[in-house]
Amino acid sequence: MRLVGIAVVIFIAAPLVIVVPMSFSDARSLQFPPPGYWLGYYQAYFTDVSWLRPTWNSIIIAAATTVLTMALVVPACFALVRHRFKGKSIADLMMLMPLAVPHIVIAVGYYSFLGDLRLVHTHLGVVLAHTCLSVPIAFLVLSANLKGFDRNLERAAQSLGASPVQTFLHVTLPILRPGLVISALFAFIQSFDETVVAIFISGRDAETLPRKMFDSIRQEADPVIAVISTLLFVAVLLAVIAPFAWRGIRSRFARTALPAPSPAGR
Amino acid sequence: MDQYLQLNGITKKYGDFTALAKVKLDIRKGEFVTFLGPSGSGKTTTLMIIAGFEKATAGDVLVEGRSLSGLAPHERNIGIVFQNYALFPHKTAVENVYFPLQMRGIKRTEGLGKAAEMLELVGLRGLGQRYPKELSGGQQQRVALARALVFEPSLLLLDEPLGALDKNLREQMQIEIKRIQRTLGVTTIFVTHDQSEAMSMSDRIVVFEKGEIQQAATPLEIYHRPRTRFVAGFIGESNLIPARITDAAGKAENPALGTCDFTPVETLSQGQDVTLLIRPEHIRLSRKPVEGRKNAAMQVETIVNYGDNALVIGRVGDLPMRVRVLGADVVIIQEGEECCISWLPEAVFVISR
Amino acid sequence: MGATISRLGERPNLWPWLLLAPLTAYLAIFFLVPLADVAVMSFTEPRLSLANYQKIVTGTLYQRVFLNTFLTAGLVTLVCLCVGYPLAYLMNNSKPRTAMLILLLVTMSFWTSFLVRTYAWMVLLGNNGPIVALLSALGLTNPPQLLFTRFSSTLAMVHILAPYMIMNIYSVMRKIDPVLIRSAESLGARGFSLFRHVYLPLTAPGIANGCVLVFVLCLGFYVTPVLLGSPREQMIAGLIGHQIEEFLAFGMGSAMAMVLLAITLAILAVYHRRFGLDKLWG
Repeated sequence: MRLVGIAVVIFIAAPLVIVVPMSFSDARSLQFPPPGYWLGYYQAYFTDVSWLRPTWNSIIIAAATTVLTMALVVPACFALVRHRFKGKSIADLMMLMPLAVPHIVIAVGYYSFLGDLRLVHTHLGVVLAHTCLSVPIAFLVLSANLKGFDRNLERAAQSLGASPVQTFLHVTLPILRPGLVISALFAFIQSFDETVVAIFISGRDAETLPRKMFDSIRQEADPVIAVISTLLFVAVLLAVIAPFAWRGIRSRFARTALPAPSPAGR
Repeated sequence: MDQYLQLNGITKKYGDFTALAKVKLDIRKGEFVTFLGPSGSGKTTTLMIIAGFEKATAGDVLVEGRSLSGLAPHERNIGIVFQNYALFPHKTAVENVYFPLQMRGIKRTEGLGKAAEMLELVGLRGLGQRYPKELSGGQQQRVALARALVFEPSLLLLDEPLGALDKNLREQMQIEIKRIQRTLGVTTIFVTHDQSEAMSMSDRIVVFEKGEIQQAATPLEIYHRPRTRFVAGFIGESNLIPARITDAAGKAENPALGTCDFTPVETLSQGQDVTLLIRPEHIRLSRKPVEGRKNAAMQVETIVNYGDNALVIGRVGDLPMRVRVLGADVVIIQEGEECCISWLPEAVFVISR
Repeated sequence: MGATISRLGERPNLWPWLLLAPLTAYLAIFFLVPLADVAVMSFTEPRLSLANYQKIVTGTLYQRVFLNTFLTAGLVTLVCLCVGYPLAYLMNNSKPRTAMLILLLVTMSFWTSFLVRTYAWMVLLGNNGPIVALLSALGLTNPPQLLFTRFSSTLAMVHILAPYMIMNIYSVMRKIDPVLIRSAESLGARGFSLFRHVYLPLTAPGIANGCVLVFVLCLGFYVTPVLLGSPREQMIAGLIGHQIEEFLAFGMGSAMAMVLLAITLAILAVYHRRFGLDKLWG
C-alpha cells in the first residue's frame, strides 16, 4: 500500500513540477529536459498583445462573474438555509443543476441562445454564462458556512439591543466574512478556469485565457504556454500555501499560548 | 413591589402540538426564579417568549404592568445568557461587553471603561483583550454574564448556562452567579434541568412538565410539600407509595405496608386514592422494630456505598423501597439480609394528584 | 389580542421567496432557456423530425463514439479508484506532517487549471519528452507513439480527476474512529479480512461518491480528449464540438448533447435517490 501511495504521489506531482523548467527552456518546441535556459518566453508573454489581451479579458470576466454570482447567491443562500417552505428541496436542486449538466451541453445551448440575443463574442455574454456555472460552487461553500452559523449569536445581539439591521452589520456579516471571501474566490476561479463554454462563445473579442491556451496548444504548442502555466501554478501555490503560512505567523505572534487553533475549517 | 413580571396565560402551539398551556406566573422585583423541568417541558419556550424570539399563540408578558408583546427583542431591554454563551468570536471580551452599550449610542471610550468595570465585577480583571476562544469555559461564561448585565437590563434570563461546565466549576459558578445577582439586585430567571442547581440558587422554583407549571414555590416547600407526583419524583430521591385513605384524619393503607399514619395538610376524603411520599433519608434502618415509629420488614437487595452515606435498595413485600443511611450505619446489614425500616408519621407526605 | 398574534404567526412568510427570486429567475432565463434551446434544436435542425436521434441509434460512428466514451469513463473511474484509494489510505495512516504535505499536493493539483495539466502531459509524453527518452535509454530503439493516443488522454484524465476521488475517499476515511479498527483487530480481523469486513464497508460511501463524480465528469470531458486523444477515437463531447464547429450541424450536435445530458442526469438521479445530490460535491 505504501509503495503504491508513493508512486501515486509522484504521478500527481510530476506534471505540476515539469512546467516550471519548461517555461525557462529555450527550445522552440516541446523538449524535456530543456536543451538550454533563458527568460525569452517570459518576455514574449509580457509583450505580446495576443496573450495579454486574453489574460486581461479573463480577469475582467471573472471579476464581473464573481460580483454577479455573489449578488445572486448571498440572498438565496439565506433563504434556503434559514427558512423552511414548500418547494425548498426543488430550489436546492435548482442551485446545483448547473453542476450536473456537462459543460459541452450547455455550451451548445449558449452558442444558440446568446446568438439570438446578439451576445456571442461579447464580454457580457461570457459573464452571463459563467455566472450560471459559478452559482452552484459559491452556493455550496456559502451554505455550508451559513449552516454552521450559530443563530444564538444573532439572538444575543438582538437581546443586547441591536436592531435586525445592526445585527446583520455588526455580527452576521463579520462572522460570515471568511465564508463569503472563499465563496467569491471559488466563483472567480471557476470563471477564470472555465474553458469549454468560453471556446464556444467568447470569440475573438472576448477571448479568454483558457480559450487562447486551448487554441494555441491545439495548433502550434507555443512555448509561451509553459510560461502561463508556470504563472498560474505559482498563483495556485501561493493561494493554497498562504493560509497555512498565515496561520503559522499568527500562532507564533499570538498574545497567549492558551488556545488550541481551531481545526482547519472549510 | 410585587408582580414585577407577569406571565398571563401564555399558550404556545405548533400545529396541533401544545408546547405551553396557559402558563400563569408572577415574579417579584429582584427575585431569583428557576424554571426547572425535563427537556421538552416548555421552560425554554417560555424563556424565548419572554425574550421575544418566539411569539405566543395566546397570552401576554407584562413588565411593571406594561405589555411586551408589541416590542421586538432588541426593544425589550432583557439580558440573556445562552447555553453556549453566544459570545461574538470576532470581538474581544471587553468589546463583547461593550456591544450593548455601543448599540445604545454610548461613546467608545466611556463604554469600554464601563465594560472593563463590569468584567472586574465578574472576576475577569486583565482578561478583557482576549478573544472568546482564548478563554476557558468558565471565563467565557463570566463574559457572557457581564455582557448581559452591563446595560442594566430590566430582566436577566439564563438558559442552562452551566450545562457545558464540569462539576467543580459548575458549583463555583452557582455561587458566583448568585453573588453577582444579589449585588446588582436584578430580577433573574434561570432555566435548568438540574434539580440540585435549582435547589441551591433559587428564591423560588417553578417546576414545568408537559407545557404546564406543576408547582411554583420556595425550594424547601417544593422538596417537603410537592404538590404532584411528578414534582415529588423529579426533585430529590423519593419513595412514592400508592395508597388509599382509610381515615381522613391521618390514616392510609397500602397492601404491602399496611396502615400508615400521617399528618394531613389538606382535606382528604375516605377511600380516596393517593400517593404517599417518604424521602429515603427520613427512613431509619435497624435490626429490631423501634417503638413509636411505623415499622416494616425490608428484604435488602443492593447496597450502594458513597463513603459518607449509602443507599440501601430493597423490598417490603413487592413494594420497592430506598433508604439513605449514614456511612457508619450501613455496616449492620448485608445484601440479601432482612432488616427493619421505620419512620415517623411526620415523614409521610400525602400527594393527592 | 391573542387572535391577532396567532394570525401573524401563521401568515406565510414572503421573505424566502423575495430572497430567492433573483437567482431563480436568473437561472431560469440564463440556464434553463439555453438548455431548452438545445432540446428544441435537436428536433428542429435542420428540419422538424426525429432524424437526428435516428442517426445516433443507427449510425455506426455514433454508436462507436458512445461506446468508446463509456469504456473510457469506466476505465478512468477504475484507475482513479486504484490510484486514489491507496493514497487516501496513506494520508490517513501517516504522520500528520506527511498527511498535510500530501493533502497540499492534492489540493494544488485540484486547483491547477486542467489546461496546464493537459499541457504538462503533452510535454511528459511527447516524442522529445522524458518518458520516451527513458524508454530509449532502456534499449527500446523504436519507442511507441504515446501522445495523441487513447493512452495519453486516459492518463491525463486520470490525473485531472484523481483529486476528486482522493478527496472523497479521504474525507470518509478520516472520520473512521481508530478505536473501531483496533477493536476489529482485537476481535481477530487481520490484513485482508480487516480491509474486507471493516475498512471497505466503512469507506464505501466515499468510494460511491468518488466513482459517480469521476464517471460523470469524464463522460462530458471535452478539452483533454480533444487535445491529447487520438482523432480516430473521439469521445461524445469532442464529437459534439466537432459537429458544431466544423459542420455547423446544430441539430446533430444538440441531439447528441441531449443524449449525453439524459445519461448524466439518469446516473445522478439514481445517486440522488440513494444519497442526496448535495452530498456529492459537499
